[in-house]
Amino acid sequence: MKNIRSGITFGIVGGLLTFLFGGWSVAVIGSLMGVGLGMVIIGKLERKNPMQIALSVLPTALVAGSILVLFSLYQNNFVQEAIGKRPAAVNIVLYGNLIGFLGAVLFTTLLAGMHGLPAKQEQQWRMILLAMLVVAFPFIDKLTALRWTAQIIFALIFVILGLGLNIVVGYAGLLDLGYAAFFAIGAYTTGMLSSGAHNIHINFWLVIWIAAAMAAIWGFMLGAPTLPLRGDYLAIVTLGFGEIVPVLFKNLINVTIKEPFTCWILPMFKIQTTCKVFVENFDLTLGEKGISPIGRPWFPFFGNLPTNVNTIHGQWAIGSKWLYIGEFESSNPITWYFLIIAIILLSVFVIRRLRDSRLGRSWMAIREDELAAAQMGIDPVKTKLAAFALGATFSGFAGAFYAAYISGIFPSVFDFSASIIILCVVILGGIGNINGVIVGGLVLMTADRLFLPALKDFLASLLTHTILPSISDPVVQLAVKDNANPILYRFLLFGLTLVIMMAVRPEGLIPNPQNRAELHAEEEAPVVEAETPKTKKAKKG
Amino acid sequence: MLELKDVHTYYGNIHALKGISLTVNDGEIVTLIGSNGAGKSTTLRTIQGLNKPRSGSVVLNGIELHKLPAHEIAMLGVAQSPEGRMIFPRMTVMENLEMGAYVRKDLTSFNDDLEHVFSLFPRLKERVTQKGGTLSGGEQQMLAMGRALMAKPKILLLDEPSMGLAPLLVELIFDTIKKLNQEGTTILLVEQNALMALSIAHRGYVLQTGEIILSDSAQNLKNDEMVQKSYLGVE
Ligand SMILES: Nc1ncnc2c1ncn2[C@@H]1O[C@H](COP(=O)(O)OP(=O)(O)OP(=O)(O)O)[C@@H](O)[C@H]1O
Ligand SMILES: [Mg+2]
Repeated sequence: MKNIRSGITFGIVGGLLTFLFGGWSVAVIGSLMGVGLGMVIIGKLERKNPMQIALSVLPTALVAGSILVLFSLYQNNFVQEAIGKRPAAVNIVLYGNLIGFLGAVLFTTLLAGMHGLPAKQEQQWRMILLAMLVVAFPFIDKLTALRWTAQIIFALIFVILGLGLNIVVGYAGLLDLGYAAFFAIGAYTTGMLSSGAHNIHINFWLVIWIAAAMAAIWGFMLGAPTLPLRGDYLAIVTLGFGEIVPVLFKNLINVTIKEPFTCWILPMFKIQTTCKVFVENFDLTLGEKGISPIGRPWFPFFGNLPTNVNTIHGQWAIGSKWLYIGEFESSNPITWYFLIIAIILLSVFVIRRLRDSRLGRSWMAIREDELAAAQMGIDPVKTKLAAFALGATFSGFAGAFYAAYISGIFPSVFDFSASIIILCVVILGGIGNINGVIVGGLVLMTADRLFLPALKDFLASLLTHTILPSISDPVVQLAVKDNANPILYRFLLFGLTLVIMMAVRPEGLIPNPQNRAELHAEEEAPVVEAETPKTKKAKKG
Repeated sequence: MLELKDVHTYYGNIHALKGISLTVNDGEIVTLIGSNGAGKSTTLRTIQGLNKPRSGSVVLNGIELHKLPAHEIAMLGVAQSPEGRMIFPRMTVMENLEMGAYVRKDLTSFNDDLEHVFSLFPRLKERVTQKGGTLSGGEQQMLAMGRALMAKPKILLLDEPSMGLAPLLVELIFDTIKKLNQEGTTILLVEQNALMALSIAHRGYVLQTGEIILSDSAQNLKNDEMVQKSYLGVE
């Protein structure tokens, strides 16, 4: 029965989303909804024979699918008109809803059915299914003309940032409120070394490593002074660094470096020397203007393909090289999408290894009790610095990718709010849990980059076509028009999400078993018991 | 092997240790007795590097411990089952025991040592997957001691290992300490239960408000009138 309730919730949420996008979106939303619903309900199912489980969730899947389709049909017949658009063509409606419905039912039952397999096989099959979805997504997105990929890429950038911050906050327990500084350092390193600004043009494939190394070095240097600090004090100092770095990038436009001895000290004693100047009035960061354009990656192995991007962009199967998915162009998000997926896979692999390593264990020990950890022979200094430096490394990757993807960077992007959003990603997803942070980043950032703008357009059209004409008082009309922009309430919504999360589910969407045990000791104890042997094995290995 | 010379330790301006000198020889059990607030725990913390002495020296086999940070002292084979236990509350019993073995480079006998700890405290074996913080007080005490044993220390500092344990278990703990010692571990034992401590120890020191007022063989201390009156509760 509880499953049916989840089915209804998912159906309604999915249905409301079709209001925002219309057209083919129902097909994509239906399939994604099926995956989400499947993932959520299998947690409550017992392992039986696959067929039996699949059948047992079928009613739930059907309910969710039907609600989705009902909403979508209502959208097409009534909502489209209210926002001043013509209903979609019949074949889009027909096939879109059919695919959406089948997708929802299929993926829900498929995931549930897999739950009938032994745990290890289930895991493998689930990974295969997810991998197929991840690969297929941008192409489906392209076919259905939804144009979500470009925004999903932003979400994925924040996934990497979240994964990096999770090392510092989640594993080592060091509250860092200025993490965006390292994102900025990665991005600016890339900007300075691969744009025309200083006549240095280093290849992206190299510069991304330099950016990561720079971020790591600065993570190390900014981490060092915070070592004796704990808790609140640490948070305040990192907050300060987070503020200083973007201000520096804004103001390093007039850099002069002179040798102090010949330029200041000797002249003080009235000794005539020629002052040695290394750089004078050098514009390092281009201030508010930002740096652009920034060099882009390219494929080194497709050299003999047509180079005129305009004719080929967007085509992913061209000529003899079927792998070809286009160039790194702003008009072609697919290549960028796969690049960032590759970076995420690499990051997840490395972070998992780190977590299960000796260093990973010392992070957790430091987080629990620094003194006790020292008694166990753990060097708190080294351990914390490693957390700062390694955590920063991943934001270096994210920064390099971001700079190349946007092809321009501006100091204001990296201010305090960016740090807070990254922290929200980690908290929303589940502090200390890799999967949680990935889900948190996707949920929060797609909400921010995809749903809010879509909601804004939706409301704007709804206002002009339906609501405003029905309001007679021009003052009220103007007030409604000016305030019905959800983007204005972006931070309010972020804040609200955090408050609600903390009240309802403080351990995050996909919690780290350690935190869940603590926060919900009574209800979820058996789940914890079931998960610990796994972590234990991982640690030994 | 371990020698403290005129150690002065402060907490802010509180002068907690006022010139402690003591030695623990290889293979000995040495006990430190004294009333509450005498500075027993502070002595152990100073040996372990958690508090730094303002003056004086702590030397282990020729190495000056007072100049080293705590984690390096642990690496030298000094392990403590601390007062207040200081186990890792959100780690499981197993993970806590694994943390104990963190200092060891050679993990070949890890499983044997684990079995050893479990044979001493079967209670811990039943609860390997339970979070340390949810154990009962006595179980946490067992875990703290088990964790210290997993380090296979050269010298084991025990701060009131019998605290919070049922009388039967107290006996067991003291038997264990004796056995460990026979197996070659040097032990510095702090105990409220002075009678028990003196009956297994070779030598003892009596601490009062940060100063050592008496040191002798355990047997002599047990028969000492002042010790009997103040610490053994004999009228
Ligand atoms: N962190 C601290 N800050 C200030 N004073 C402290 C601190 N820790 C201990 N002290 C003081 O140092 C003195 C010695 O304390 P210590 O813990 O060594 O006593 P103890 O002999 O272990 O006593 P007990 O038998 O009660 O455990 C006491 O007077 C105590 O108040
Ligand atoms: Mg004490």
